Amino acid sequence: MLRADSVTKRYGSMTALESACLNVEEGQVTAIIGANGAGKTTLFKCIMGLARFEGRILVAGKDVVQHGKAARRLIGYLPQNPALHPDLTVRETAIFYADLKQVTPARAHEMVQEAGLEEHAAKMVGALSGGMRQRLALGIAQLADPPLLILDEPAAGLDISARLDLRKLVTEQRQKGKAVVLSTHWLEDVPYIADNVLVLDRGKTVFQGPASQLGAENAPRSRLYLRLNGHSPEAMDLLRAMPASRGVQRSGDWVVVTCAATEKARVVEALVGAGIGILDFQVEEASVDAALIHLRETAEGRN
Amino acid sequence: MNGMVTIARKELRDAVKSRWLLAFAVTFAVIALALSRVQGDAGDIGDQGFNRTTAGLINLCLLLVPLLSLVLGAAAIAGERERGTLATLLSQPISATELLLGKFAGLAIAVWGAIALGFGTAGLLVAFFQPLTDIEHYLFFVLLSAVLAAAMLSLGLLISVLVDTRVKALAGAVLLWFFFVLLYDLGAIGIALSVSSSGRTLVGVAVFNPVESVRILAIMSLESNLEVLGPVGSYLTERLGTMTSVILLSSAVVAWTVAPLVAAAQVFRHQDL
Repeated sequence: MLRADSVTKRYGSMTALESACLNVEEGQVTAIIGANGAGKTTLFKCIMGLARFEGRILVAGKDVVQHGKAARRLIGYLPQNPALHPDLTVRETAIFYADLKQVTPARAHEMVQEAGLEEHAAKMVGALSGGMRQRLALGIAQLADPPLLILDEPAAGLDISARLDLRKLVTEQRQKGKAVVLSTHWLEDVPYIADNVLVLDRGKTVFQGPASQLGAENAPRSRLYLRLNGHSPEAMDLLRAMPASRGVQRSGDWVVVTCAATEKARVVEALVGAGIGILDFQVEEASVDAALIHLRETAEGRN
Repeated sequence: MNGMVTIARKELRDAVKSRWLLAFAVTFAVIALALSRVQGDAGDIGDQGFNRTTAGLINLCLLLVPLLSLVLGAAAIAGERERGTLATLLSQPISATELLLGKFAGLAIAVWGAIALGFGTAGLLVAFFQPLTDIEHYLFFVLLSAVLAAAMLSLGLLISVLVDTRVKALAGAVLLWFFFVLLYDLGAIGIALSVSSSGRTLVGVAVFNPVESVRILAIMSLESNLEVLGPVGSYLTERLGTMTSVILLSSAVVAWTVAPLVAAAQVFRHQDL
């Protein structure tokens, strides 16, 4: 569905993206991970024909440079900061984009309902909250039911419930056989929603492969602070013996466990299973940067 | 093509919603009417009919129409770029050229509508007070204003794709307006004094200014004797002849419409967002 070969983008002497490759099949979800300035949005702009580049990008066999319009007809794109005309109402916006995508006004009305914005249909877009605007933009991306969805940081600024909705949406799209490419900062979501991962660091690819391979060693580390109801020595022994654990320390009343972001629940589960009560817990989430440093070091080590 | 029509429709709708064009139409109608009344009060209007109103409107029109069109054209793409909506629009199945042409078409129809409404209202009102003679000159001038508006919109759009903010675009538009409408005369005088004051040179200079080309065409429609234009008038009537002059000047205005639009499309198509 989407194939990018050696895509390089330079801004003057600065290389924003270097020889990025991507191959996304129907029914697959690919996550693009990287810190700010890694080149994620640049790659999306190249796919959307918003930036010139070296290399080649094909969407369902259509070259995005030579047949940009036809290629974009197959893509639903949600930009990082969706900008819509503030002086149009929600309904007018939906109809305007439906017209551009050559879908019926009835579908536009349906989309407004699906986005949960029916009550706000007569409101100016400029008067919507950030979350509502994001929902509208996501609805616009899906208006023509495109076979490829490109979502640039779709979870940014969303609360937990909206993030869960987004996960659901991505899963549904995959089940329908659509291809999804998304960039995210929420690394712990990746193994659950993505089949493949491309990790970019300052424009360079530092990891590319199945999401399952990103797990284990490459996975970002979280810190779990636990206050236990007694049995601390036993708990420490149990935690140290866990394969998921990457370090166990005491810090005052707290037991601090370093583990893969995706393994947090297992740590808690193991303690509860051993009859060790947890009075309180706090989570310090892994940062993208920490994970990237690890991946960069791994990539440099290989070279 | 479909995308172009959608964009044109939105531009037209925005123009109507913003009420700028309505204000322009009303202003124009009021001024046209006032001019006709003032000239009527001065007497001697019976044998002049619409010609007096048309003559009075030329200078006013040559100031206002270019300003309005340049500003609207300049704000069109730069405004979208500044708001971030340009990237959203170009992420849709529409080409950069279609977007640009859609903007041009929508704005042109809006400005033409304002001109038609302004001149039309004024014309109707003037017809109540003055004999309905020479109305064809008045209508020809309305047509010339529409063509001038298209040329200026085209130039405005070229400015719009070249700059990244609305303020810069508006500054560029005002500067260009200042050049075409005010500085041009000084430049022409300078050329006449320092290079050559021949009619041929001055006609050559005139075709490089769409406002001047339209002014000469408007005067040609009103006056058979072009002495009022000095060496330019003599050259046009004696050397080129009326028909060739009309073709030359009209072609110049059409070229001023097409060339900046083609240049704008070329630049726009190859821009990064």
